Amino acid sequence: MAFAAGLLFVGLYCLLTMKNVIKLFIGIEVISKGVSLALLATGFVKKNTLLAQSLVITFIVVEVSLVATALAIIINIYRHTKSLDIRKLTKLKG
Amino acid sequence: MIWQILLLSGLILFSILAILSKDLIKSAISLALASLFLGILFFQMNAPYAGVFEISVVAGLITVLFMLTIALTKAEGDVRESKLARLIFPLVFVAFILIDVLVMKGLLQKVPALPDTSEPGAFGDVLWKQRTFDLVGQLAIILAGVFSVLALFRKRNKDE
Repeated sequence: MAFAAGLLFVGLYCLLTMKNVIKLFIGIEVISKGVSLALLATGFVKKNTLLAQSLVITFIVVEVSLVATALAIIINIYRHTKSLDIRKLTKLKG
Repeated sequence: MIWQILLLSGLILFSILAILSKDLIKSAISLALASLFLGILFFQMNAPYAGVFEISVVAGLITVLFMLTIALTKAEGDVRESKLARLIFPLVFVAFILIDVLVMKGLLQKVPALPDTSEPGAFGDVLWKQRTFDLVGQLAIILAGVFSVLALFRKRNKDE
């Protein structure tokens, strides 16, 4: 569980400090690895790996769908702003 | 146990490389290697189906999608990441690990132990009979993903 928390920390650090949109998304991927590790580790400790596996598989399917959509949005952002810098996305600022 | 700790250390190491590397291609490859380590770890934890999904889908498909996106957006040079974030990271990470070890130990002892709910049966029974609603949700999410990608890449009319 400590390792899963470490992965969550690495991902959060990336989200807080990086500016490249693709890098930020890599940070989200690292966080999702931490979550799936925590899910399966809990199932392994409680000797209930079957249920944990099915939850992890559901999580992976959701993750793939999220990645496809987010990368399509990133490509569209690049087409509009010609940059991957998150600071240039200020048009939605209220 | 030693193998598990080695795999977990490799997982953390490649995840750190993925976020600290300047080259986006190297970051994507490091992420794929981290997924590979996680998949092998799943096999070690008696979860072969999750391991196969992790290696084939996350390490394979998602890496390909990342590579495609990086190839389509050749603009790595224009984003300057702050050097301070890279320099401070080891210090912050070591501090977090120390706090993690100290706090987690006490915290996990305080949490009341749940009963072991080990159940006989096959993986298919659990997935198809117990988690049927999850499967419906998965189908809905896949369809939502497909339609959103189609909507994002549709050709625009001249009037728009």
